[in-house]
Amino acid sequence: MTQERFIGLVREEQEPLRRFLLALCSGNAALADDIAQDALVRAYVASGSFLGLAKFRTWLFRIAYNCFIDHCRKPHPEQVSLEGRVVLSIASDNAPDAAFRYQQLYGGLDKLPEKEKTAIILFYFEDRSIKEIASILQIPSGTVKYHLSSGRTHLKQLIRL
Amino acid sequence: MNDQPIEEFLRNNRPEVKDDPTFLLETQRRMREVEGIKNEVDRQRRHGHLALILTLAIGLVAGISVTVLAYLYPIDLSTVGDGKLDSIRVFLNTWKNYLLIPVAGGIIALTLLLTRSKDATARL
Repeated sequence: MTQERFIGLVREEQEPLRRFLLALCSGNAALADDIAQDALVRAYVASGSFLGLAKFRTWLFRIAYNCFIDHCRKPHPEQVSLEGRVVLSIASDNAPDAAFRYQQLYGGLDKLPEKEKTAIILFYFEDRSIKEIASILQIPSGTVKYHLSSGRTHLKQLIRL
Repeated sequence: MNDQPIEEFLRNNRPEVKDDPTFLLETQRRMREVEGIKNEVDRQRRHGHLALILTLAIGLVAGISVTVLAYLYPIDLSTVGDGKLDSIRVFLNTWKNYLLIPVAGGIIALTLLLTRSKDATARL
């Protein structure tokens, strides 16, 4: 795949990809963009092996998710880890109520197990189907449904509405 | 249990991504860097293959030539060199154990050099 063609495909997907990683990184936009760029470079290097069996978008999100997991597993004291994450910055407009809502949201998402959190983000923020989420997380569809259901239950306990 | 409120909350609070025109430019810059490294690794690999093929070809040609010459022009070694070849043979026979040390050292050094150059390529 040529760089021009790849960039053409990425141009359409960059916003959903950045939003997905922004939610995974609890609103840390700089970290999310860094992981997104890392994912795009990895995808470009591996683009020769992309056979078109999955949608380009699904394939790209799977790589991004793996990059996020790799980042979490790296030993570093600050920012994102798989557990006990800290909300660093809230990417929203400056309205205080919006900022509060995002803080609540990220705070709640942060306390979810990583697969539950990812399933919730993909389903509610990215409007991905169960099948697509299963393909991105590489788990069966039934397990995705279970993660969504238990994620909602956990969030209801964590977020005051 | 009713999941509607939490579902509405999630759908109404989708994170917003700030438009960043530098994002794709930075991505392209990183891709160019990776492309450069890939090209350099490919170039070095091609050079390595070429050198290997050339060495094999030269060795083959030289070996065949020497064998053919030896068959075409056989020489009785005892008639040449005024016994110098014999003295060389005796010298080698006497000192073979000590001569093996620099040869073994050379092989170890060559192995280390090759391993280090492989590591350097892997780091790229």
